[in-house]
Amino acid sequence: MDLFANLAHGFAVALSPINLLMCLIGALVGTLVGVLPGIGTIATVAMLLPITFGLPPVGALIMLAGIYYGAQYGGSTTSILVNIPGEATSVVTAIDGHQMAKQGRAGPALAIAAIGSFFAGCVATILIAVLGAPLTKLALAFGPAEYFSLMVLGLIFAVVLAKGSVLKAIAMIVFGLLLSMVGSDIETGASRMAFNIPELADGLGFATVAMGVFGFAEIIRNLDAGAEMNRDLVQQKITGLMPTKKDLIDSTPAILRGTVLGSILGILPGGGAVIASFAAYTLEKKIAKDPRRFGRGAIEGVAAPESANNAAAQTSFIPLLTLGIPPNAVMALMVGAMTIHGIVPGPQVMQKQPDLVWGMIASMWIGNLMLIIINLPLVGIWVRLLRVPYRLMFPSIVIFCAIGIYSVNNAPVDVILAGVFGLVGYWLIKHDFEPAPLLLGMVLGPLMEENLRRALLISRGDWSVFLTRPLSAVLLALAAGLLILTVLPVLRAKREEVFTESEN
Amino acid sequence: MNTIRMLAGACVAAAASLCAFVAPAQAQTYPTRSITMIVPFAAGGPTDVISRIVTGHMAQTLGQSIIIENVVGAGGTTATSRAARAANDGHTLITGHMGTHAASVPLYPKLAYHPEKDFEPIALLAGTPILILARKDFPPKDLKEFVAYVKANAEKVNAAHAGVGSVSHVSCELLHSILDIKPVGVPFNGTGPAMNALVGGQVDYMCDQIVNAVPQINAGTIKAYAIATPARNPSLPNVPTTTEAGLPAFQAQAWNAIFAPKGTSPAILATLNAAAVKALDDENVKKRLLDLGSVIPAPAERTPEALAALVKAEVAKWSAVLKPAT
Amino acid sequence: MADTMGHSATATRNNTSVALGIFVLALAPQIFELIWSLGTIFGWGTGRGPVAALIGHASALFAGAPGAVFGSFGGGAKKLSSDVLLALMYSYPLFAVAILTLFMTIKSAQDYVGGIVLMALALFALWASSDLQGMRGFSFGAGTAPRMFGGLMVALSAGIALTGLLYDGPSLQHYSWRGPLFVMASIVFFALAIRPLGLIVSAFASFLIAATGSHETRWVEAIIVGACLTAGCAVLFPYILGLPMPMLPRFLMQ
Repeated sequence: MDLFANLAHGFAVALSPINLLMCLIGALVGTLVGVLPGIGTIATVAMLLPITFGLPPVGALIMLAGIYYGAQYGGSTTSILVNIPGEATSVVTAIDGHQMAKQGRAGPALAIAAIGSFFAGCVATILIAVLGAPLTKLALAFGPAEYFSLMVLGLIFAVVLAKGSVLKAIAMIVFGLLLSMVGSDIETGASRMAFNIPELADGLGFATVAMGVFGFAEIIRNLDAGAEMNRDLVQQKITGLMPTKKDLIDSTPAILRGTVLGSILGILPGGGAVIASFAAYTLEKKIAKDPRRFGRGAIEGVAAPESANNAAAQTSFIPLLTLGIPPNAVMALMVGAMTIHGIVPGPQVMQKQPDLVWGMIASMWIGNLMLIIINLPLVGIWVRLLRVPYRLMFPSIVIFCAIGIYSVNNAPVDVILAGVFGLVGYWLIKHDFEPAPLLLGMVLGPLMEENLRRALLISRGDWSVFLTRPLSAVLLALAAGLLILTVLPVLRAKREEVFTESEN
Repeated sequence: MNTIRMLAGACVAAAASLCAFVAPAQAQTYPTRSITMIVPFAAGGPTDVISRIVTGHMAQTLGQSIIIENVVGAGGTTATSRAARAANDGHTLITGHMGTHAASVPLYPKLAYHPEKDFEPIALLAGTPILILARKDFPPKDLKEFVAYVKANAEKVNAAHAGVGSVSHVSCELLHSILDIKPVGVPFNGTGPAMNALVGGQVDYMCDQIVNAVPQINAGTIKAYAIATPARNPSLPNVPTTTEAGLPAFQAQAWNAIFAPKGTSPAILATLNAAAVKALDDENVKKRLLDLGSVIPAPAERTPEALAALVKAEVAKWSAVLKPAT
Repeated sequence: MADTMGHSATATRNNTSVALGIFVLALAPQIFELIWSLGTIFGWGTGRGPVAALIGHASALFAGAPGAVFGSFGGGAKKLSSDVLLALMYSYPLFAVAILTLFMTIKSAQDYVGGIVLMALALFALWASSDLQGMRGFSFGAGTAPRMFGGLMVALSAGIALTGLLYDGPSLQHYSWRGPLFVMASIVFFALAIRPLGLIVSAFASFLIAATGSHETRWVEAIIVGACLTAGCAVLFPYILGLPMPMLPRFLMQ
C-alpha cells in the first residue's frame, strides 16, 4: 500500500543520524521553552530560525517541529507546578493541575500529562498520515461564519469550566473580550483604547496578561501574611511520583476523548488548538459523575486537555502539509524556514517534497517517543523543585517571567504591563474572580470579533448566514444547548451555590 | 535599614565583578562591532528572507556579523520609528519596504518619522512583484473580463487583504483607485489566513506578493490574472503582465531597501552601499532571490540617489491613492 | 487598581468607607492623569501639564458635565470634550453609586465591591472607545464591538454587585502591602534597567528587590542564589535560546 511505502520512506529519512539529532535537539529545546514561563514558542522559533539556515531543510524543519510540540509537553509543567500557563493551550491544565500539585500530587499530574500527550501525539501522527488530505477539506469549509460560531461555542466552554459563580465567569469572559479589543482595529486600522501608547498599538500580548494574572498574582498572593502555612503544607505532602492504578483507570477514557477532540479541532487554523483543550475539559466536566471534583484536583481535568492540546498541535500541521498554508504564527515561521531553503510549500508539497513531508510526519512520532522518555524521569526533578524554599523560588520565578515577557517583543513596557496585570490578578483573587475565563475571552475575543465582521461584510449585513450555513448552525446549536445545560441547574440552585462558595 | 544596606552592597559587588568582563575599547575603522539590522516584520516573511539572504553576504564583505532583529508591530512602523531614533554610527540599520517607507505616510497620520527626512538611503535590495489573484471558480477568465466583471459587480465582489497597511491592502487600493470602484475589502490577519480564504472560496480576489502565490497557482487552487511588473516573471512564465493584459496603469512592487538613521557619515553609507551591491552581484544570492520570484534591481537602481528618488516617488504615489480612502 | 486597595484594606462595618472608596475610584483617572502630568514639568513623557489637566478636569466635573446634562434638554448637540465625557460617562455614574451605597445593606462586600470596580472598568472602557466610529451601514465600525461588550459588562457587573446586596457572602479579604510593593518594584526595575544596564545587572538586582518582598528572606542565601541564577540566565537566554539581549551595561560596552 502507498501509505506504508510513504511511511517507510519517512522513517528512513527521520531515522538518519543527523535528523534524529535534530529531532532530539528540537524536543529538548521545546521542553525547555515550554517550561520557562513567558518564553513563547513563537519567539523561540523566530530566534532559532537563523540557525537552521546552515542545516539541510528536512533537518531544520524536524527541529522546528520538535520545538513546537515539545513546548506543549513542557508548557504543562509550569502550569502544574507554579500555576503559570505559558501558552493559551495550557491555561486549562493549570486549573486542576495546580490543585493536584497543592495536594501533593504534582508527580501524577505531570506524569499523566506526559502520558496523555504521548498517546495523543501518536494517534494524531497516524491521523496526519492516513487522513491528512481528506481532512483538509474541513479546514477549507470553515469560513468566517463558521469560525464565529466556533468562537461562541468556545466562550461557552469558558463558562462551563468556572467552578464558582457563573455570573462572575461570564463577567470575566467579557472583561477578557474588552482587553482583547485594545490595539488597532483590523478593518479600519483605528487605534482602540490604546491611549497613544505605542506599545499598546498592537494590543495586549497573551503572555503579558497570562504572566500577570496567573504568575505574578499567584506570587503576590503567596507572599500574603498567613499564606506560608498553606505553602509549606504543599511542600510536605508530596506523595507518589507516578500515577496510581486508579489514576490510570480514571484518565484512560479522558485521554481517549481528549485525543479525538483535539485531533479534529486542531485542523482548524486560528484558535482550533486553544478551543480543543477547553472543549476537552468541558466534556469531562459535563459527563463526570461528580462535576464538583473539577477545579479541585481532578486528574481527568489534566489528562483530557493535555491530550487534546498535543493532538491539536500535531494535526495543526495538516493545513501546512496539504495546502501549504500556515495555520498559526509558528507554522508561518516554518514556512519562512522552508522559503529560505528555496522550498515554498503549496498544495503539491506532498508530491514534490516527499522527503520533507513524510520525514517530518515520521519524526513527529519519534519526537513524541523522545519526549516521553525525557519527561517521565524529569517528573522526579520537577517535583523536587517544589521543595525549594518559597523565599528563593518566588524571586526566581519573577526574574524568569520578566525575562520571558521581555524576550517576546524586546519591549520593557510589556514587563511593566505584566506587573500591572499581576496587581489586577491579585485583586481578582481577593474578590473570587477566576482568571482562566478572562484569558480565554482574551484569546478568542479578536477571533470572534474579526470573523463576525468578516462574515457580515461578506453577507452584506445579513445576520442569517450564521444559521443558514449548516456547519455554523450546528455549532451555534451546540453552544445554545451547552449554555442551557450549564445555566439551568445554577438558576435552580442559586442559593446553595452561594453557600457552598462561602465555605471555601 | 539593614535590607537597604545589603542591597546597596550587593549592587556594588555586582558592578565590581562586571568590570572584570569589560574589554578595552578598540579604535578601528567602521564597522567596529557587529551591526544590527532591524527587520520591521516577523521572521520568515518576504522582507525577512530577503534581508537575511543579502545581509548574509554583506557580513562577509564587511568582516563583521550582521544580527537581524525582528521588531513587529503597527505595520512595521514601530520598528521604523525605533530605527529612526537609533544612533547614526552605522551599527543600526533597517530593511525598510514599500509599507514602512512610503504607504505609512498617508496611512498613519501620527507617524513618528518621515521616510525621506529621517533616513539615509543605502541601497535597494529586491522587489517582489504583485499579482492579481482570484479563487479558482471566479467567473472572469482573463484580466479584461475581470475588470469588466468587477466594475459591473462592485457591490457584490469581496476583496481579501492581509490587514490595514499590508502590501496586499495598499496594492489592491491602488487597483481599486485605477478602476474607480470601492468593493468590500475583507481584512484578514496576515497573508496566510487571507490565502486560506481565497483557496477555500470564501472571498473572490486579492492582490498579493508572488512568493506566497506561486505554489497555489501551479497547483490550480487559485488563479492569477496578471503580474503588476513591466516584465513577466520567470517563476510564472504563463502569467501576463498588466501591460500585456490591458491594464498598464496598475504597476506595483513590494520593494525592500536598506536605510540608515539620518546623519550617518557618507563614508559609512558608501561602504554599506558597496557591500550591498557586491551581495546583489553574487551568483548564489542572485539565485536565491530569483527563486523567491523577486526582481533584482539593475545596477543603475542600486545607488543611494536612485533609492532616494524611489522613496520620494512612492510616498507621492501612495499618498494620492490612500488619502481618499480614509 | 492601586487606589481600590486603599479602601478594601479596612474591613467595613458601615458603608461609609466603601462609599468613600467608590468616590475615590470615580476620580481615579483624573487623579492618575494629574500625577502623570507632573512628569511633564521635568520633560518626561507627553501630555498636558499639571495645571492644564487640573483645570480641564475640574471645569469638566463642576461645570462642563452638568452643563451638558441640562444643555441636552435644550436640544444643544454640540461635540463634548473628552474631559466632559469622562466626567459624564465615568465619574457621575460612580458618584451616584457611591451615594446609593450609603443607604444599602451590603451582605457580601466581596461581591459588591468586586461588581462595582468591574463596573468602573467597563465604564472607563466605554469612555475610552467613545471616540471610535460606530456602525456604517452593514459594516461594523471600530467602536461597535468595544461598546457592545462594555455595555454588557456594565450589566453583568451590576448583577454581581446586586448579588452582594441580596445574598450573604464573604466580606473583604485582607490585603498585604509588602509582597505587591516589592514584586512590583522588582518588575518595574527590571523593565527600566534591561536596556541601559543589561541582563546581568538587572536580573541580579531585580532578584534581590523581589526577595525583599518576603520577611522570610535570608540575605546571604538570597545573594548566592541570585548570583547563580543570574549566571544561569546569562548563559541560558542568549546562548542556548539565542535571544538577543544586552548583557552588560551600555556604558561598559563602548
